This record gives sequence, C-alpha cells and structure tokens, in this order.
Amino acid sequence: MKLLKHLMAGLLLLGFAGHAKAQTTDEIISRGTINIGILTDLPPYGFLDENQKPAGFDVEVAEMLGKFMGVKVNLVPLTSPNRIPFLVTGKVDLLVATFGITPERAKTVTFSIPYSAIENSVFARKDSGISKLEDLKGKRVGVPRGSVQDVLLTNALGSTAKVQRFDDDASTYQALITGQVDAIAETGLTGRQLFAKTPEANLEERFILLRQPNGITMRKDQFNLRQWVDTFVYYIKVDGELAATWTKWFKTDFPVLPVF
Amino acid sequence: MRSLNFGDFLFLIEAARWTILLSVSAFVGGGVIGAIIALLRVSKRKPLRYFAIGYIQLFQGTPLLLQLFLVFFGSDMMGLALGPWVAATLGLSLNAGAFLGEIWRGAIQAVPRAQGEAAEALGLHYLPIMRHIVVPQALRIGVAPTVGFLVNLVKATSLASIIGFIELTRAGQQLNNVTFRPFTIYMTVALLYFLLCWPLTIASRKLERRMAFAYRR
Repeated sequence: MKLLKHLMAGLLLLGFAGHAKAQTTDEIISRGTINIGILTDLPPYGFLDENQKPAGFDVEVAEMLGKFMGVKVNLVPLTSPNRIPFLVTGKVDLLVATFGITPERAKTVTFSIPYSAIENSVFARKDSGISKLEDLKGKRVGVPRGSVQDVLLTNALGSTAKVQRFDDDASTYQALITGQVDAIAETGLTGRQLFAKTPEANLEERFILLRQPNGITMRKDQFNLRQWVDTFVYYIKVDGELAATWTKWFKTDFPVLPVF
Repeated sequence: MRSLNFGDFLFLIEAARWTILLSVSAFVGGGVIGAIIALLRVSKRKPLRYFAIGYIQLFQGTPLLLQLFLVFFGSDMMGLALGPWVAATLGLSLNAGAFLGEIWRGAIQAVPRAQGEAAEALGLHYLPIMRHIVVPQALRIGVAPTVGFLVNLVKATSLASIIGFIELTRAGQQLNNVTFRPFTIYMTVALLYFLLCWPLTIASRKLERRMAFAYRR
C-alpha cells in the first residue's frame, strides 16, 4: 500500500505538476520554484553521486542561483541532445548545463556571461602520431553528438575525416578503447583521469582542441531573466563563491573567463 | 569519476519499476485504442475502415522515437505542456494501439465468417454478434501474439529516455557516465529486462499450448 502511495505521488509529480512557462524573474519568484536543466552524465560538472543524486559543479551553481533568487530549485536531468528542446518549449526555465557559447547557438538561445569553462582535447593511442588538427584527416574520429567539438571538427575537417557521433560521453570513450575509432574529442579532465587509470589501453591526450567558456542558457526572449542571471554570475564571481566551488570540484584555480 | 557501489544496483532496480509501470499503462492505453481500431478495421463502413487503415499505417510506418518526441515537445507548441510521464504513456499507447489493432483484426478475421453470417440470419445485431460469438473466439486466437507484442513493448519503453523519462536504460546510462563500467552496468540492465520479459515469453508459450488444446478434438 505504501508503495502504491509513493507511486501515485510520483505520478502526480511527473505528469500533472505542470510546468507553466515562466518568462521573467518576477514570474519565477511568484511561482516559488525554478526548473533548472542540468546534465547528469558529465562528471564533475553534473553526475550522479554515491547516493544516485545529482551532484557536481553545475548542480551547485544551480542551487546557488535558486538561493539568491529566493526560490526552490527543481533540477531536471537532461542529456546534451535534448537540452535545447527542453529549454525552447519551456519545460525548463534555464540551463546550467556546461553549454558552450557560440554565435551559431545564440541564434536559438541566449547566454549569460561565462560562469565556467571546459577543455576539449583529442585523445588517441600513444603511437598514433596525432598531434594537431590536420593529423585527423583520413581518420575515424568519435565525438558526442551535438557537442561543440562535433560542430568544430565537422566544420574543420569536412569530409576529409570520418566523424562518428555517439549518444553520450561514456560511449565515445568506449569507442576509442575498443578501437572503433582512431581518435576522440572529449572533455580534457575526464579523459586524462580515465586514461591515467587504464594505462594498458595505451591511450593519452594528444592535443588540446579548444577551451570553451560556458554560459547559463535561456530562451531568446528572456531578456529580463538574463539581466538577473548576469547580475548573479557577476556577483558570485566577485565575492569568490564561484571560484571556491570550482576549486572544490576541479582542484584547480578558477580560470580567467572573458565577458561580453 | 567514482566506483560502482551497491546503491547503484538498487538504483537500477528502482528504475526498473518505472519501466514496469510505463509498460503496464501503455498496454492498458494501447489495449483500449487497439480494440477500437480493430473493430473499425473490420467494420462494414468504408470510411471507418479507411480511418483505421490510415491510423495503423501512420503509427507503424514512423519511428516510435519520433512519435514520443512529437507528443512531448509538440504538446508545448499547442499549449498543453504534458509531463514526461503522461507524454510517454500517451505516445506508447498510440503506438501500441496500432500494433494491437492489427493483431486483433487478424484474430477477429480468423473466426470463420460463416458464424457471423449465421448469427445475422438468426436476427442478431452487430453488438451481440461481436460480444457473444466473434470476440470470445478471437480472444483465444489473439492472446499469444498479444503477449508476444507486450514483450516488445517492455523493451520499447527504453525510448522514453529521449524525453527525459528516467527508466531502466537511462538510469544505466547515467551510472555509466560517472563510473565508466559499461559492461557491468549494461549487463545488469540487460538482465533486468530479461527478468521482466522472460515470464511473459513463458506465459505466451503456455497460453499458445492451451489454445491449441482447446481446438483439439
């Protein structure tokens, strides 16, 4: 019976709680809850911790945002392919999802000033001889579908390399380990950790592809909300809270981020 | 990155609960739609028949993944804002309705036509003919393929992860992305699916045997 009660509560939460589309800061405050899209498959930005709860840098920034706005945070776990549909259809109010700022994406969404950065590197076998972008010509290169490195490599290499797209980061790494691709473009930090742990795979970071600043992401017409979010990012940067969170998760100094 | 722990396996089992619940509700929803579609499909009226054919073609001829995507994100365009749970149930039900409708149409048509004609000659109307003569026999014929389809439906629920529904497969993906232990995780996921589907397959075989028995003289 208790199980049934839990199930019913779950149903209500999932289906009928409804997510009235909130456009402005005031609307979110009067609703009392903010729906924030996060990733749960990109450690240490967003992942499931030992208790299977969302944790990581993005998750803490999202909670900080809710605290400063004075509303409850409802975290919505998303994947990199479905985060844009969730945002533009109003199923979440904004994304704190390691979303890289590009002019291409700014045609569809709007970004806050950068609050974090991510390094993308090319990984391959130690004896592969790959050390720069041109070396990838004629090679099979794995990337997570729809990622920044996917767009970058597709534009830079065109048909000269075979770009293979995978559903998530773990499958991309797996493809390199099992030899389905010759190289992958992936998150520097995770890749370095993973390949340091598995020396028998004979894989390593070959070169850094790009350093990408990320912005909190909103719909194109949420100017009012963006003004608040920019102020929030500026404030936690100045008072050191953002840098402290960064150091907690990445064990490095907070990178110098450009602003616009 | 972290290592797998016991709680992760419990997390997978808990996620399997959503797979079961989604399968059951999609089967109920699909059953209602399927029954209507099957009856329309064998109707004597041409427009009803064509409607059912169109429905079946539409849902069998397009990927379930896209159907789920369109129901979930499309509902927002129409100002309906369905949650992942409702959208997944609706999408899977619409899809299952097409397949079940076609399975049950076959079952209805497998009942010798002469029986219906004889009943008509005795002065029975459409509903009593269906209720007392055709459907009871069609049910027996349709039971085995229906259970067979249910096995497919259980596995198809994994597609609901596209709309943010965290069921068994998506839960496994999330864990894999933090622990990088794909073989352990996906083997466990596969085992859980197997434990859900295997009893269904056995039940299907048993029902089939019992049905053959009923027709033995």
